Amino acid sequence: MKRSLIITINLLIMGFILFFIIRYANTMAKESNRNGIIAFEKMTVTTNQIIANYLEDEQHLCDIWANYINRSAEAGTPMTAEEAISFVGKTRIFPEVVAHLIFLDSPERTGISTTAKVSAPDDYTVSYKNINIFDNIDSESSSGEVVHLTRAYTNPMNGVQSIAFLNHVTVLDKESGMQKDGLLMRVVPLSRLEQKLVFLKGEYENVEISIVDKEGNYVVHGKSFKNSNFFEYFKSYNTTSSEEYGNVINEIAGGTGTMTIKNYKGEDCVLSYTPLETMTTWFLLAYIPAKDLVANRSIDWLLLGITSLGFIALLIFNSTVMMTYNRKLSEAAQQANQANEAKSYFLSTMSHDIRTPMNAILGLNEMVLRDSKDDSIRMYSESIRSAGSTLLGIINDILDFSKIEAGKMEIINVDYSVASLLNDLVNMVQQKAEEKGLAFDLDIDRNIPTTLCGDEIRIKQVITNILSNAVKYTKEGSVTFSVHTHKPEDNPDRVILRVSVADTGIGIKPEDIDKLFVAFERIEEKKNRNIEGTGLGMAITQRFLDMMGSHLEVESEYGKGSVFSFELEQKVVKWDPIGDFEEAFRRSLNERANYREKFTAPDARVLVVDDTAINLTVFVNLLKRTELQIDTAGSGDEGIALFTQNHYDVIFLDHMMPEKDGIETLKEMKGIADTSNRETPIICLTANAISGMREMYTNAGFDDYLTKPIDAERLEMTLLQYLPKDKVTVVSDNNTAPDQELPDFLNSLTELDLDSGLSYCGDAEDYIETLKMYSGSAQKKAEEIEKYWAEKDIKNTTIKVHALKSASRSIGALELGELAARLEEAGKNGDLDTLDKELEELLSRYRQLANDLEPLNKKEE
Amino acid sequence: MKKNFRMVLALSIAVMLLLPGCGSGKSADKAFVPKYDKDTEFSLTVAGSYGNFESLEAEFERFYEYYPNASLQYVTMDDYNNVISSALVGSEPPDIFTTNSAMIGNEKYDTMFEACEVLSDSSLDIDYSCIRDSLIRTTDSGDVLMLPIFTTSYGMLVNMDIFEKEGLKVPTNYKELVSVCEKLKSAGYESPMMGADKFSGSGLFNCFAYPMFAYNVIQNSDKVDALNNFEPGSGELMRPALERLDEFIKSDAIDIAKCQEEITDEYDQVIMRFFEGDVPMMFATGDVVSGTAKRESKSDVFTANPFKYRFFTVPAGDDGGYFINSISICFSVNKNSGNLDMANEFMRFLITKKELNNMAGLKRLITPTDDFSSDERYSALADVPDKRSFSDKETGLLDPAVRQFRAAIYAVGNGKMTVDEAIASYGNIPEE
Repeated sequence: MKRSLIITINLLIMGFILFFIIRYANTMAKESNRNGIIAFEKMTVTTNQIIANYLEDEQHLCDIWANYINRSAEAGTPMTAEEAISFVGKTRIFPEVVAHLIFLDSPERTGISTTAKVSAPDDYTVSYKNINIFDNIDSESSSGEVVHLTRAYTNPMNGVQSIAFLNHVTVLDKESGMQKDGLLMRVVPLSRLEQKLVFLKGEYENVEISIVDKEGNYVVHGKSFKNSNFFEYFKSYNTTSSEEYGNVINEIAGGTGTMTIKNYKGEDCVLSYTPLETMTTWFLLAYIPAKDLVANRSIDWLLLGITSLGFIALLIFNSTVMMTYNRKLSEAAQQANQANEAKSYFLSTMSHDIRTPMNAILGLNEMVLRDSKDDSIRMYSESIRSAGSTLLGIINDILDFSKIEAGKMEIINVDYSVASLLNDLVNMVQQKAEEKGLAFDLDIDRNIPTTLCGDEIRIKQVITNILSNAVKYTKEGSVTFSVHTHKPEDNPDRVILRVSVADTGIGIKPEDIDKLFVAFERIEEKKNRNIEGTGLGMAITQRFLDMMGSHLEVESEYGKGSVFSFELEQKVVKWDPIGDFEEAFRRSLNERANYREKFTAPDARVLVVDDTAINLTVFVNLLKRTELQIDTAGSGDEGIALFTQNHYDVIFLDHMMPEKDGIETLKEMKGIADTSNRETPIICLTANAISGMREMYTNAGFDDYLTKPIDAERLEMTLLQYLPKDKVTVVSDNNTAPDQELPDFLNSLTELDLDSGLSYCGDAEDYIETLKMYSGSAQKKAEEIEKYWAEKDIKNTTIKVHALKSASRSIGALELGELAARLEEAGKNGDLDTLDKELEELLSRYRQLANDLEPLNKKEE
Repeated sequence: MKKNFRMVLALSIAVMLLLPGCGSGKSADKAFVPKYDKDTEFSLTVAGSYGNFESLEAEFERFYEYYPNASLQYVTMDDYNNVISSALVGSEPPDIFTTNSAMIGNEKYDTMFEACEVLSDSSLDIDYSCIRDSLIRTTDSGDVLMLPIFTTSYGMLVNMDIFEKEGLKVPTNYKELVSVCEKLKSAGYESPMMGADKFSGSGLFNCFAYPMFAYNVIQNSDKVDALNNFEPGSGELMRPALERLDEFIKSDAIDIAKCQEEITDEYDQVIMRFFEGDVPMMFATGDVVSGTAKRESKSDVFTANPFKYRFFTVPAGDDGGYFINSISICFSVNKNSGNLDMANEFMRFLITKKELNNMAGLKRLITPTDDFSSDERYSALADVPDKRSFSDKETGLLDPAVRQFRAAIYAVGNGKMTVDEAIASYGNIPEE
């Protein structure tokens, strides 16, 4: 993942978290604001109660005064105004609280005060002529209200902003001697009321309390409220329609509530309102700037800022750590790449360096097999060939798997002959199947096109793997190899090959099927420990099929057998059907002879160049019977020297040589103009068996290539292809007649399968020699087996039985060989019962056969 | 006290004549630099008769920029003129209070003036040189106890859109006035000029005739005492103004009956009727103009069809109109204030061309400074020649004489007296 993408994702996540925090903070702030407003409204109601209580108290005191004055009047001893005021003056507790008695019959609204005018200490006369605080002075205090209160006004006697509580009194008019009505006012400085609200300052510093009447006129005027009327103030600073304006008036008159208004500065303010208790036509307004109620967002922003910084710090830290790790990872990756390159180099080297000595081993072993007449040596040699082949297979598997793992394996499509492919496959497997006594059945569709286009090598490898596995894991019964075709609906130029291999082997448990395709994993490892393999076969097979757009299907029943199949779409090059392949193969099988040279060419001359002397020896010996003239060269330069001196019909060049490798040598040879070898085919010998090599070598200028270890038959076939026909004499199968040389009595021995024996030994002469050796050593070997068995030395008994098995098979005593194989298996498994029951029969039949062959020794004598 | 102020007035006139006007020769307005620690915490109360005083409260806000911990409050005092004296010696005296020129010479305010701080005390560093000299009132000893904040005048509101629409220019003399009114009349305006037919200073007759009368008085200052003392024959000085009023009333320029019917008070109705948009000229004082700002939004007609309007002197004279400048309110400082230093500091802040113009602009009253440009509505006043620009104190008229003149024009204007009868009755003309 690119760094920028990681950073972007990180930033997105951070952004999301910050967004969430902001949203959450906003939600909480809104909640807090709501709560703040609710609390403010509650405070308003509480304040209302406090004010109401206070006003009631003050009114109560006013009423006490009035009641006392009025009771005097009621008792027939009314007080004069002066007496009344004097009484009130004496009873008042707080000096700042004064009383005014206004005569209702005075047009000037004059009266007397308990205290003199501060600017005129002798003047107790008070006038409300110019102070408009009474709607109707006659009806003041007569309403049903508990409290009868004026708005805040200026006390005309001392200029102090005050409120007055009212009650009516009856006093005596001294002049007329009649009683007259007066309005008693308990005048209280507004500051006393404001002191009652001091408690608010702790919680609401900027709260302002106003009291308005139902018209909005201020009774008590908060200093932030402009105008002389609240509704006028509202209208002056809040843009509202007349309908909204009406709603505001109705809301305030309608009960307790809260609204947001603009103040004269255009700021949002919260206004809580509630009807003043005891004064139904007056309303308490509590005003506060909204910002004082709004939750302090600075804390949120601080949190947000710190969180953001934290995220950024985290991002930087993580990026730094990530960069450090990336650098280390990069270094590790570089080291891994180097290690991988080293591995590739190692594998390549291994391929070459192991296959090169393997070439010598297998080549020389082939010589041994051909030249040795000693049964034991041939037997050992056969084991070497078998083990060598297995080892080569393992190396090839590991190489292939390494290539696949490295992503360097490519599918290379070439035109190939289906019959040839099938032939190779069947040849390869048939023998192994027969060796195990398995029936190898073919079911090949006659209509398969002759020539297809695909990666022949990989297809062959896939099918070989499947077939080899089938043979390996089948003890008895059969292996059936089926190939059928059908045309894909959407592509008329192609066919779909359906390849299926069914066996009657050990089968696979359902839970183990998946393990089939895991590299180096072997099913029932313990049980199958004697079966060779790396555990790579099926993994490689599956990978190859994947690369070719197919997959392996497995149907298996544990203990009964398995069917492996796959479908492969191939382009058709030639639509001619291959016909009855099975019949053709059977015929060729019957015609197959034991090894003998396919041709002789005493006049032909070949040059082989290889830096490894033993490889040259192997090469020469492999072709000894062809009577070819073979020149060898130990280096490229030596080869070039011979190239210039002699004419060769075919030249073989090793690829990997020191100083001047095969390709450089080839180029130099091609560059020589004056030579009779201009048309001579040059074939690359290489231990490098990695796929794609054919293209590389042909592109380099080689005519063909052969992989080491050199397959003798393939070498001869190659030579047959490239040698001039006039120099080659193909060896006819009729040239040998082994049956004619075998003594007749051998035909009567039921224990022997002469064809099989001849096939294995090569010719009659060798066969007879082998039979002699078998017969001559039988007694001794039988006694050794008996001896070990008697000593219950199972290990050595088994080894000897194993030798007997191989020896018997090599002379065509197949049933005896099979019996020995069974006992060998019993020995390996510690099955003493089977050994006890059947060992005697084995030895008996062994001795009997040896006896039956005794005439061969006598005949020679 | 009365005598003292007469002397003061005389001295003031002399000083005014000696000193150059409040113009270019005056010191430039300096930026206010706080004298005290800006963190000083204090409260001040300003008392006045205005129901609300938003322009002052705006100044409070500006003052808070220098003294953020200050708390200033404006208190409306009921029956202000009767109560202020008591309030100043009461338990909750204001620190600053409003005064006006009418208080001068009235014994009722002696104790009030005794409580006033001497604002001309150089130690206070209150530079009132930006205020037009003619508006400065001093005591016998030359002390300045009150400084004008707003001034007013008598004139007319002109609907500039109508003049523009009719292709007319605002008249600059009586002849043009008559001519313009005729054209407007013929253009369909029933009463080209309107106003409140009230006895008060805001009444239409006062707005028309008083500036002209005051000018005559100034031109005949030797007869002022006779006027003030209601000496027989002294009313003759009213004749030019009364005759011009009579002439005006009898012209088609104004329909008095219509004015009486449609304008029932001298303030709100004047403004609201003017905002109807069909009155080319409306007699008004500066105080009326100050009420226009809030009433624009209250007038649905004006809101729907707003128009430009400006304040002009009434061109009652043959040469033009007369700009008589009266103090609307002054501020005085209570020398017994518990926060006297800070009260003086606020005055020091307020008495600058910038702040006074700000206040006047917000209040839509005439600034006491020499700079009329700060309010476009009053900008025409700057065009009145100095000769016809004067302060009401220059007339030397006392309030009773002024009221008699007002009674005369009210009687003549409403046809209750002839010019001659009014002149003859001077001193005894019934007042409203």
